[in-house]
Parts: sequence; structure tokens; C-alpha cells
Amino acid sequence: MESPLFLPTLAACRLLLAWVQLPVLDGLQLDHQLTSPLTSYFRLKEGLWLYHHGVDPYLGGVLKHSPLFLSLFSTVSPGRVAWALSDIVGAWALVRIWHSRQQLGQSRRDGLVGAAYLLNPYILLPSLASSTSTFENAVVLLTLMFAAEGRPSPALLALALSIHLSLSTSLLLVPVLMLLVTSPTSRLASPRPFGGSYWMVFKYASEFVVYWSVLVCAASIMAGGVWNWMHESWGASLILPDLTPNPGLWWYFFTEMFDHFRPFFLMVFSTHLAIYIMPVCIKFQHDALYAAFLLLGILGTFKPYLTLADPGLFLSMFAVFPEIYPYLRHAVVTALLHAHASLLLPLFHALWVIEGRGNANFYYAASLVMGVAGGAGIVDACFAGMRIAIGNGSEAERGKWEVVQQ
Amino acid sequence: MHWLQHLSRHCLLLLACLSALTLAIPQEERVSNFFGRHTGTSGHTNNWAVLVCASRYWFNYRHMANALGMYRTVKRLGIPDSNIILMLADDTACNARNQFPGSVYAKAGRHLDLYGDNIEVDYRGYEVTVENFIRLLTGRVDPSVPRSKRLLTDDRSNIFVYMTGHGGNEFLKFQDNEEISAFDIADAFEQMWQKKRYNEILFMIDTCQANTMYSQFYSPNILATGSSEIGENSYSHENDNDIGVSVIDSYTHFVLEFMEGINKTSQVSMQDLFSSYDPVKIRSHPGVRSDLFQRPLESALITDFFGGVSQAEIFPVIEDADTTTQHIIRVSSPDHVVPPDPVSPQAHNGQDFDKANATAVMPQKDAVALDVRWRDIRKWTSIVIVGFLVGWVSLVR
Repeated sequence: MESPLFLPTLAACRLLLAWVQLPVLDGLQLDHQLTSPLTSYFRLKEGLWLYHHGVDPYLGGVLKHSPLFLSLFSTVSPGRVAWALSDIVGAWALVRIWHSRQQLGQSRRDGLVGAAYLLNPYILLPSLASSTSTFENAVVLLTLMFAAEGRPSPALLALALSIHLSLSTSLLLVPVLMLLVTSPTSRLASPRPFGGSYWMVFKYASEFVVYWSVLVCAASIMAGGVWNWMHESWGASLILPDLTPNPGLWWYFFTEMFDHFRPFFLMVFSTHLAIYIMPVCIKFQHDALYAAFLLLGILGTFKPYLTLADPGLFLSMFAVFPEIYPYLRHAVVTALLHAHASLLLPLFHALWVIEGRGNANFYYAASLVMGVAGGAGIVDACFAGMRIAIGNGSEAERGKWEVVQQ
Repeated sequence: MHWLQHLSRHCLLLLACLSALTLAIPQEERVSNFFGRHTGTSGHTNNWAVLVCASRYWFNYRHMANALGMYRTVKRLGIPDSNIILMLADDTACNARNQFPGSVYAKAGRHLDLYGDNIEVDYRGYEVTVENFIRLLTGRVDPSVPRSKRLLTDDRSNIFVYMTGHGGNEFLKFQDNEEISAFDIADAFEQMWQKKRYNEILFMIDTCQANTMYSQFYSPNILATGSSEIGENSYSHENDNDIGVSVIDSYTHFVLEFMEGINKTSQVSMQDLFSSYDPVKIRSHPGVRSDLFQRPLESALITDFFGGVSQAEIFPVIEDADTTTQHIIRVSSPDHVVPPDPVSPQAHNGQDFDKANATAVMPQKDAVALDVRWRDIRKWTSIVIVGFLVGWVSLVR
């Protein structure tokens, strides 16, 4: 893994996997764990077909992708190589984030970091299923990479693009802005107040708004209207029109709910995502990259249309923070919960939908296990990030100070 | 001078209406030709079935089996449960005397369970009454009656009405305490005709002296057939020794046997069915009444009444939006349409369409090309904007 050829080999293997037509992978595109209505390849192709035949693709509620996907894939055909390249770009970005954090040009752990992204089944399988969450993850990683390397404009453009593709990624706006004005190196062990310049933050925020508006203009021109694609693409995360089962926690609530309470619960679920931003960013103001990492974990558990790619990104990013490993209290438990969830989800889905012997409750129970797994990961990472500042309470240090409040 | 303006405005409006009319008329013709009744085709768009078993009690097992056999056939040939009204006393399958609880068989040997686990009985037990039957047919049901118990037909529905039970000269006994007469059914059908509740009806009845039941019909488009003449009994076909009673009636048995050879694509006609009647085997003389039926029996398909078959037309594969509209207009010309069966209404109407559409093709071709051009412009504009932004950010900033 330390060899410099390891990552290129992995990249070549990933490209090979895209080029070879394995019949066992054909069914993956229909799997509800790997794709959601917002990321499904079939819906993208349907939208492309409608677009090519002169019908507004956003009319029927079929297409929930951004119009930029439409414009991209009507020029470049949506082949599997695009997904493989996107995976490789994501892995490369993760390795560069690692380098920025450690302030190294290269390190022995590069291969491990790259492999943590490319070989993670939560990332690999949705990519093989041609789910557009691959592109979303790659753009998020590019955002963090540019922000960590201190290049504000590319970072803000990538952030604007990632929020454009998936509205929930707006959780990352504050940490990325913070990261741009501070450094990406690990300051978890020695926290200090936020030292960045608020004026620069404001400047970057306005630059972000400009980029975002330009992208919205381009998308509106492509879709031939402003409201149709916004309502379908971003509105899907807010209004939840499509109740296709997914590993997330939202859909079941809304299948069993009276219409009267629907707006209230939509508000609650959306606010639930938003309320994590400020506490996490305030608590981890000394290490904005870690705050972004935690917010990605929150997204990976509580997102509206969750697929396995979202917790996958969170788990892959653990590779960038080795300093917290001694302070993780229940890593094995989290891993086992994820193993349980990833086995139960397809099983109960098949039992319910294909065989008709189970029902939605089985599947939601499995997605609750996934939620617990995600929650366990976030809580562990959060506490580890804080505990690292206190130290591990070894004998030598215990005499020196006492922890009054943890 | 504003009267001149008014005049010119009205002239423009008239011109617009006229041009719309001239463009619309070919559309109207096309639609009416598609839906119209042509010699040979039925012109129906949906199929319904009303299957009535008017007897109850264990010893009338065979009437239940008759109705369930018809139910199975009609479902197999494509009529969905939502379009079938099944009226049974439904006291056979779970009868205390049934050696095979939950099952109803129509043949000795008990190979095929007609009751099964996937049947929908709409009127059961004491709901099978003359009043309910006539209300069902005429549509005069109480507002509280659910949709599944209503005959929601329209003027393009072909209805298959099958009745079985104990009957006599112009009457049918319902559930051993009332009877319906041939006049009642005839009047009910006439009400249906007046209210445009059917396109064509096939009335089939298997009782003693069955042919008398259709002797009083007077509404058009009814084809009727019965199992026995006046003064004749209809006999049961066979007993099953373990069930202990007769399991099927002779006439229905032979009709069902005939139907076993029919599938959804079958082109077998009603005349073939009627020709297959063998009075020796059936042990009574089945009759047919077709004077009210306006099509020749050779061109009336079995699936017109027994099946829920929809007509499909094959269009050539649409490759590009440029030629989309042209394809849809041109498909009616004889060399493009693919009519597999001779009764398709398109085949002999192709000639009319070409002339009518000559005027309609021209203005639409340009509009489509412009549309495609505009779409391409939009697509490339958005790509250029995004590309420019990415390039500017990466190079300049």
C-alpha cells in the first residue's frame, strides 16, 4: 500500500471495471439502497429522452436532477467511464485534502486514503449503479480540497456547484467559508477561538452568491424556465413528493401521515438538518475541516433522499483524521452496526418488494439500524474530536490537571 | 373610424376560426373514424361481464360452478375484476356438506379449483335479488352502493350477460323465492339502450327452456343464445362421486370446453361458437337470436364479448424529434401502418387521411425545426456559461 504505484493501479482497476460489462452489475441500477429518485440513472435517461423529444422533462415529476446534468449528458453520453473518472477524481481530491491537512507533499498513507474512497463499498456500489451521487460526492470533495489548499475561488465555485446539484449540501457553506479563512491543519488537540477575518468571510460569501446565481442562470436557460426545475430538483428535498423507499429516515414518516401534519413534519425534518450547522461550527471553530466532516456525517444520516453513498463519504473521510483514532470509544460497534444495516437493508427490501412476504416496517427497521449506525459514527467522531483536546488521561498527565466539566 | 377597427378585428377572428376549423376537421374525421362502428368491427372500447347464478343451496352446486367457470374464462381472456360483476349465492365453497372446503370444481376428477384464492364476488348471498339485478343493469342504484357493485358502462362497452339457474317459459327463478321474467330483462336492456349504457350485449343463459328468456328483447345490438328450447329441459353434464352432486351443466360445459381453445389473440368468431353446438351431446337444442344484432356473426369475434382485448397499432420507432410530427401524421398511410387483423379500422381509411393531412403537414414541419434549434441554442448557452465560469475561475483567480 505504500508503493507509489498503488493508487494508479486502483484507478486503472476502477476504469477496467467500468469498461468490462459484468452482467451481475446490471441489476444494481434498480437497487433502492444505491439510487434514489434524485440520483437515479433511469430517471436521468428518461429526462434526456424527454428533452430530446421536445417535452419539458420537468413536467411529469420524473426528472429530479439538475438541468446541468441534462446539458452535460446530452453532449457527452452517460457512459460508465464518466462515473469511473468521477470516482478517481474524488479519491484524488481526498488524498490532496490529506496532504493539505498534514502539510506534506506525499506520505506513506496516501494509498490508504485513496483506497478508503475507491474500495469503500458504500461508494463503489452506487458508482457502479450509475447513481449521480458519485458526481455529488466528487464535487463535495473537490470543494474541501480547494478550500483546504487555500484557493478560494475554485472552492466557492465547487461549493456553488455542489449546492446546485443537491440542496442539502448547503450545510457545508459555513464550514467551507470558515476553512477558507483558517488553515486545514489539525488543531483538534489545541483548540483556540476562531481567528479568521469576518470581512473575508463576507467577501467569500458574496463571491459564492455570484457563482451560485450564474449557475442558476445557466440551469434556467437550459431548462427553459426557472421554477420548473427548481421545484422538481430542490423542491424534492423540501417537499418530499416522491416516497420511494430508501435507507433514509424520512420516507416512512410521510407514507403514514395525514396531510394535515405534512407541512409541520417537513419543516421539522428540514430544520433538524439546519440546526446542526451553528453548534458544530462553533464547537469546532478551531478546525473547520473537522466541522465539515461532522456535518457530512449528519447529512449522511439525516438527508431527505438518502442512499448508501452519503454515509459512504463520511466513512471514507475518517481516513483523513487519524489523530482521533485512539480517542474513538466504540469504533467496532459502529462498524458492526453498519455491517448489520448494509446486510439487512437489501434483505428486507427484497422481502418486502420482491417477495411480498414482509412489509414496509421491516425495511424501515433496517433503515433505523442504518440511522443508529450513522448516529454512532457521528457521536463517536464528535466526542473523539473533543476528547483529543483533553488528552487520554494517562498516569503521567493525571497529576497535572483535573477535568472539571467534559 | 373605430367601426373599421371593429370590422377588421371581427374579420380576423372569423379567419382564425375558419382556419382552425379547416385544420381541425381532418382531426375530427380521424377521431370519429377510429371510434366509429364500421361494418365488421364492433367499435367497442371496453368490456364488461355480468355473471349471475340465480340459485342457492348445495344441490345447485352446478349453477355456482357454471358461473365460476364463466368467471374464470372471462378473466383469463382479459376482462379485469373491476369490469366483472359476479352475483352468486356463494354458499357452496364453505358449505358444511362440501368435502373439499373452499373449493368449487366444474369437472369430475377435480382438477381445477374455480373458487381458489383470487376471485371477487360482488353480490353474494341474499344480495342476489331481482331488484338488485335490474338496478345493476339500469344503473339506478342507491348512492351508497360502492363502485365495485355498479355497472359503470358507457356507450362503447360490450357487455357479456350470463345467467344460470332454474327457469321456465319466460322466467328465471332467483334464490328460490322470486322470479324475473323475460319482459323484465328486455325492458332493462331497453333502458340501457336509451341511456347509452352499452354498445353490444351478448346474452347467454343456461336454464330449462332458456331460449324463451331472450324471446322478448327489442333493443338493438343484442346477440342472445340459450341452452334449450321451449318445453325442453337443460341437463347437467356429470356428477363427481366424491362431491356427491352434479358439478356442471351440459350446455355451459360445452361452451367452456370451446373457450379453452380461445386465447386473447384468437380470431374465432361467434358463428364458430354457435356452429359448434351439438344438440346430441348437449342433450338439448341451444338457440341463437341474432336478428337484433347488426353485424354478421362471422365477423363478431369471441373476444369482442368474452375478452378484454384492446386494439393496438404499431407505429414506427420515433428516432428524432425532427420527424416526430411527420411520423404521427404519416402513419395512417397504407404503407406505414401494420394492421395484423383484417378488422382494423385503419386499413381501409388510409386513403382518406393522406389528402386530409396534406395541408396539416406543412406549417408543423417548420415549427418543429425551430423548436429543435431553440433547444440546441439553450443547451449550448448553458454549457458555455458554465464552461466560461470554470475557465475564468481556474485561470484568472
